[in-house]
Amino acid sequence: MASLIRNVFLSLGRTNVCGLGIKETTNRVTYATALFANSTSGNKGLPDRGGRGSVGRRPRREPGEPRTEKMPLDQDWTSVYPSATSFKSNAVPLPVRMGYPVKRGVPPEKKGNLELVKIPNFLHLTPAAIKKHCEALKPFCTEWPSALDTDAKCDEHFPIKVESTDYVCAGPSVRNPSARIVHLKVKLSRFNLNDHARKKMLKLVGERYCKDSDILSITTDSCPLRQQNYEYAKYLLTVLYHESWKIEAWEAEKTAADMEEYSWEDSLSQKNMLDTLLRMKVAGEGEDADVRKQLLERKEVQDYKDSVVRLKNEGASESSMLQYKEAVRKVLNV
Amino acid sequence: MAASLSSSGSARLMTALARSSMLHNSFESRSLHVTAVCCKNRAARIRIGKGDRPLTYEQAHHPHQIAHRKGWLSQHTSNLKGVEGAAERTVEDVFIRRFMFGTFHGCLANEVVIKRRGNMLVVCALMLQKLPPQKFYFLIGYSESLLSHFYKCPVKLDIQTLQDKAVYKYL
Repeated sequence: MASLIRNVFLSLGRTNVCGLGIKETTNRVTYATALFANSTSGNKGLPDRGGRGSVGRRPRREPGEPRTEKMPLDQDWTSVYPSATSFKSNAVPLPVRMGYPVKRGVPPEKKGNLELVKIPNFLHLTPAAIKKHCEALKPFCTEWPSALDTDAKCDEHFPIKVESTDYVCAGPSVRNPSARIVHLKVKLSRFNLNDHARKKMLKLVGERYCKDSDILSITTDSCPLRQQNYEYAKYLLTVLYHESWKIEAWEAEKTAADMEEYSWEDSLSQKNMLDTLLRMKVAGEGEDADVRKQLLERKEVQDYKDSVVRLKNEGASESSMLQYKEAVRKVLNV
Repeated sequence: MAASLSSSGSARLMTALARSSMLHNSFESRSLHVTAVCCKNRAARIRIGKGDRPLTYEQAHHPHQIAHRKGWLSQHTSNLKGVEGAAERTVEDVFIRRFMFGTFHGCLANEVVIKRRGNMLVVCALMLQKLPPQKFYFLIGYSESLLSHFYKCPVKLDIQTLQDKAVYKYL
């Protein structure tokens, strides 16, 4: 009871002393303390509706000093920033300043600086942290096989190369439809194909073969999943190989227009050359067929044949035209 | 007889029509009033005032200073070539900003920064110490779980608290 009266007196005293300006607040204070006193004495619980009345109810906790003050110099930084987090000015002991300075001023300090929060930081990737990561990953790694130390050896043992891309993006979904595309590359020289099989393979494959590098590249994207596309590519390769070895009945109807390369034997050029030579009466008279064979074995005719074949197969270039010119001169003795 | 009657009748009709159209003009005339256009940009700009209004760095710089003096408040890879989903990320950003503004009402010291790391959403905010820490923790947990369920991806809140807003200049 005495304590109660004392409390009330204290509150009243406060109102007397303080000026008029803050009468309201002090009134509130007295109201609050009076209530508090009341509630301690009896159970007349007028519930104190929080908010304004809570000024005296629970003292506001003072914010402590920032963590940077308590950091020792030889601390373990990897435990301060173990993973990627935004910049926390209370946890980074560096006196960083960022921003455009006000006129005749300095860039704003790190406390409350949103620019430092916006940018990505690498405080979690110090060399010590990376070392720890490597140590943690080592048990899961195996050595590269020592027998495969050159590229050539890798190509020899693993001729088929399969390529596919994985896509990462910042969004809730992991799926990307472009991830299903599979590229399969292999050198045709690794296959044992005879002449016919090779030509048939090239005809079947068309544009997928690069002549300069001798690489056949098959790209599959018709299936929705990458595994399906990979198996389809392997299937295509198998089918191409087996089909190119088969000889169908209709392949006998291959005409000169279907041929990939120009061959001089039994061609118009050969016929014309022989006719011209016969008319020039270069060789002696004899059997027609024998004379033709003799002419064919002549060196100039062989040179002419080489130049014509080269022209037709490789196209017209400076050197091939010169070669043709020389060959023609020699044959016609000009 | 009939012709003259009809002509006079038509003349009367014409005058009646003319009168009614004149009436129409004076009572229900509508015209378009146009003022001169003021070609001033007002986007995200706080105009100069008396000098007593404190501004943060974010508010003090105009939008054309982005990439010069300001960074970006939201970062994701959807604006790169060949990546889709830019519109969805933008809508998510707008919702998250309004959500944070409402959940931590009166406590935000500055704009909310949104980062996306893989499929994780990281929301960074600077807050004032207006609420007791327990309430802060509750609101942080509530926002994280609600947003994770809403967007079906892990959402993390990185909150820092300040005593008061960091003032850059007074306008």
